[in-house]
Amino acid sequence: MQKYGMYLGCNIPFKAPDIEQSFRKVFPALGVELEDLQGASCCPAWGTAPSFDMDTWCAISSRNIVLAEEKELDLMTGCNSCFGVLSEAKHFIEDNPERKKRVNEKLQAIERRFEGSAGVYHVSHVLHEKVGTDRIRQGLTYSLEGLKAAIQPGCHVLWPSDVYQVKEKNPFFPTILKELTQALGAEVPHYSRLEYCCGMGGMRTTDVEKSLGLFTDKILSIKEEIDPDFIVTTCSSCFLQFDMSQPILKERGVIDFTIPVFYYTQVLALALGFDPSHVAAISQTPRDAVIAEIQSEKRKIQK
Amino acid sequence: MSEYIKLESDKISEGVKTIMDLGGHGLLRCVQCGACSAVCPGVKAGFPVLCRMLIKKILDGQLEEIIEDSSSWGCQACNRCTEVCPQGVRPQEVVFAFRRYQANDLAFSTSAITSQMNLHAYGHAVFTDARELRAKVGLPPEAPTSAYNEKAQKEIQTLLDNSPMGELGIF
Repeated sequence: MQKYGMYLGCNIPFKAPDIEQSFRKVFPALGVELEDLQGASCCPAWGTAPSFDMDTWCAISSRNIVLAEEKELDLMTGCNSCFGVLSEAKHFIEDNPERKKRVNEKLQAIERRFEGSAGVYHVSHVLHEKVGTDRIRQGLTYSLEGLKAAIQPGCHVLWPSDVYQVKEKNPFFPTILKELTQALGAEVPHYSRLEYCCGMGGMRTTDVEKSLGLFTDKILSIKEEIDPDFIVTTCSSCFLQFDMSQPILKERGVIDFTIPVFYYTQVLALALGFDPSHVAAISQTPRDAVIAEIQSEKRKIQK
Repeated sequence: MSEYIKLESDKISEGVKTIMDLGGHGLLRCVQCGACSAVCPGVKAGFPVLCRMLIKKILDGQLEEIIEDSSSWGCQACNRCTEVCPQGVRPQEVVFAFRRYQANDLAFSTSAITSQMNLHAYGHAVFTDARELRAKVGLPPEAPTSAYNEKAQKEIQTLLDNSPMGELGIF
């Protein structure tokens, strides 16, 4: 059985623990063991240490990577921002021997040392590259055939491609999440703003109206071009933006619809037959109807 | 009558060095082609001093004039700019170097203070008491992270306190 150090970040354990539960259900079911990285902290988020001091950023990030190193495991993150922050910090340390020395001096104060032996992967990479779409297909209890999904890969698994361990063939036309969603049986049509930013992150904190403006373009593009049954993402920040912002826009009369949103492993967990009250229980944008449809008797795969 | 910018070479050299020292190493490679701004979600959303324009102002020696501008804090760190830049400037690194210049003078939104304080106290920029929510979905109420781990919190506090961030009086 393959094994990864599960790096949770902040959004998932505190805002969307049903996503965390979906990890804990789907990975063992697909032959991947998860080991908690006890005491892992924030990556640290872009608005914190990376905005103040590079060496402090690299020290806090490397401490998280070291937790995986100490267990001789690679690290797997469920949040795109964490993936970007940790990958870039690793790159900045390994690209500059002087920085590595300074970071290890900082880590010495907490009796740790960064070597760089642990790889940084994202949940979508492990599912696509290590588990594979064939194995996902074989494990399904319910088929999503006939359902239409809009995908939102999110920025930080795409760019800057030169520092990432696993990357898309063309980061402006990403296919990893598309193939993972197609493996569930769903149709995944292209839409023009596929890799556009959702407006979450620093933009939402700095100017929520600008953030919502960007999100409005994206959600209208999705609705008007492909009118999907649900949206699926592998970024916890994108998930929160899509989930929180649709009710706001609807209340303001900017949109007259909402589209259910899932983190990919949630919809995968539903297709594998896991209990929705554990793996897809928390959302502001209603999704009960599509959950009932996914786990309906008629979709059960005869084995 | 149009407004002209008076270029002062000392001011330009000092500003460029400041940003390069803070991590914007590719700054001088910029040829102002605007490829970065063309793909920047922050520019699209309407932040006026991001990517090409931010680099132009730094190269014109206007660092002090824009220290209060909040555009850099609207940067999503998405790195589209880095991917498309034909000159290897890595504009996102310049934007973050400028943020560091601002942050070290405490020129950032007060809304950013909560996340720094959370990071120091719990090891998490985003933290809420989610014990009930976690139990509801069948998870142990306390996440296995620094949030409920005193030793881990002390380690993060040591790293932050012994850093330039510790000298700013945020924690």
